[in-house]
Amino acid sequence: MTKKSELNVIVEQQYTAGFATDVASDNAPPGLNEDIIRFISHKKNEPEFMLEWRLKAYQHWLTLKEPTWANVTYPTINYQDIIYYSAPKPKNLKSLDEVDPEILKTYEKLGIPLREQEWLAGVAVDAVFDSVSVATTFKEKLARAGVIFCSISEAIQKYPDLIQKYFGSVVPYSDNFFACLNAAVFTDGSFCYIPEGVRCPMELSTYFRINAVATGQFERTLIIAEPGSYVSYLEGCSAPMRDENQLHAAVVELIALDNAEIKYSTVQNWYPGDKEGKGGIYNFVTKRGHCRGKNSKISWTQIETGSAITWKYPSVILLGENSIGEFYSVALTNNYQQADTGTKMIHIGANTSSTIIAKGIAAGKSQNTFRGLVDVSPRAANAKNFTQCDSLLLGDKCGAHTVPTIKSKNQFANIAHEATTTKISEEQLFYCRQRGISEEDAISLIVNGFCKQVFKELPMEFAVEAQKLLAVNLEGAVG
Amino acid sequence: MIPMLKISDLVVSVENKTIIKGLNLVINPGEVHAIMGPNGSGKSTLANVLARHSEYKIESGKIQFNGKDITDVEPEECAHEGMFLSFQYPVAIPGVSNVQFIKTAVNAVRKYQNLVPYDAVEFLEIIKEKMALLNMDQDFLYRSINEGFSGGEKSVTKFYKCSC
Repeated sequence: MTKKSELNVIVEQQYTAGFATDVASDNAPPGLNEDIIRFISHKKNEPEFMLEWRLKAYQHWLTLKEPTWANVTYPTINYQDIIYYSAPKPKNLKSLDEVDPEILKTYEKLGIPLREQEWLAGVAVDAVFDSVSVATTFKEKLARAGVIFCSISEAIQKYPDLIQKYFGSVVPYSDNFFACLNAAVFTDGSFCYIPEGVRCPMELSTYFRINAVATGQFERTLIIAEPGSYVSYLEGCSAPMRDENQLHAAVVELIALDNAEIKYSTVQNWYPGDKEGKGGIYNFVTKRGHCRGKNSKISWTQIETGSAITWKYPSVILLGENSIGEFYSVALTNNYQQADTGTKMIHIGANTSSTIIAKGIAAGKSQNTFRGLVDVSPRAANAKNFTQCDSLLLGDKCGAHTVPTIKSKNQFANIAHEATTTKISEEQLFYCRQRGISEEDAISLIVNGFCKQVFKELPMEFAVEAQKLLAVNLEGAVG
Repeated sequence: MIPMLKISDLVVSVENKTIIKGLNLVINPGEVHAIMGPNGSGKSTLANVLARHSEYKIESGKIQFNGKDITDVEPEECAHEGMFLSFQYPVAIPGVSNVQFIKTAVNAVRKYQNLVPYDAVEFLEIIKEKMALLNMDQDFLYRSINEGFSGGEKSVTKFYKCSC
């Protein structure tokens, strides 16, 4: 026996022992194998079909290679070093005094009330009391409308029929490396079901649900809009939730049936790493919607300001006749952040149309890439697409890249693409400063103007927060 | 009496070329002065240097505005003190509406003067009143700064910025 395999045996042994202890303390040891997946599934009290699905995903994942085509570089991720299950519990900080002052400073700038600050930082439970009661009121109102809004774990137990019908039907486990990993180890996420003809009486937000269950790093969200229904879903929260975890690989699936509409808005502000590029979240997310019914509509709006690395392409597959897909995006990168983000609009049904408006802002030494695909199938007669990608550069050490792909197999399709790259000019800055506006405020004003087309797609409160977020994230972008 | 503007022995260079060579000028409150000269004689340079444009370097000399030395200040401080440039060819800032820009500028100056900034409603009332004086259409407020403006419209924009 060589030294190395001896070592392996010892590691294995400790590992098994460690595992048993950790079951009691509700934590899995680091690493990924079938036992860990069984452990997660057992902890979640899942039906057999879900465990089988997870195991199939895991077996498939073993055959996959991490994608390298994106315009991002990062050190190799050791998937055996990651803890895939850790019980959701509050961090049990006693007061705000124990929270990193840097975080508090950011909260203050965002104008988040103290109570919310306590909750966001994971301080004691009593601080959340208000939000919990709010959440309960919401639940009652939704139930009256017949809307189901709960955690995905709860849905798997309570609504197995809906889960078996739709779960994994938009993003199958075999879809890509990160989606496959997610399928094997997902720990939580949201589930929304809007019954036929119902217009969801309020904007649904993870903000409220997250109070009840802390979500892990492998979330999975499923939204089903039955014929004639409408829902607007807000993901993420305005505050920078610093996550100690490094890898975040989520999956979001949307299904819109006949005449249904789903509007999905995200403000992503994970920890982007420090000024030297140390730390930060690797955000590898698969988001996709199916416009399955005729006249259905799915609209993605995203404001991406956080994460060290963003790898994310919210897409729409336009199956139903006359269905509509939209993608509105602002991606801001500063310091050493890298974002490779964009969308795919796959036109399959006749008379389908899509709109892509992407605004990339690169500052510091960051790299910002838009990657898009517009694909028109032979069946998609009269398909229409309009794409506009604009990049704004701040300083001379950052990069903006646009990688659009257009594939049209139908001669009656109408596809338009516009792209611009601009810099904030000295003259624009001088113009503002000469009217008394400080350099930082001037940049923020100009950047907000640049993003206006996207901001107007956001729900009102979100739009205001998005503007503040950009300002905070642009601090120190000059010079 | 303290002069409103006092320029003493001002030497200014642009890209290492000396343009203004020892200018002296005193302007008292209420006076109107016109500076004339052939192309390249330094009229725009003087305007830009008074506004503290970073490309115009003061080699020597002194500028005082209402008794305060503004030789080494930033452009925004100049504006806060009450002096700003009316641009011959103003730049466009896409997506930023005139009302948003003027409000940001006015409130920045008010902050410097220790005055409470105007909220959106107050500000809209004030600016609409000024606009009525100038007979200008209200959509102007929501258009982007100088984007697709005619020369005349750009000039009118300047007046709003002066009058608020």
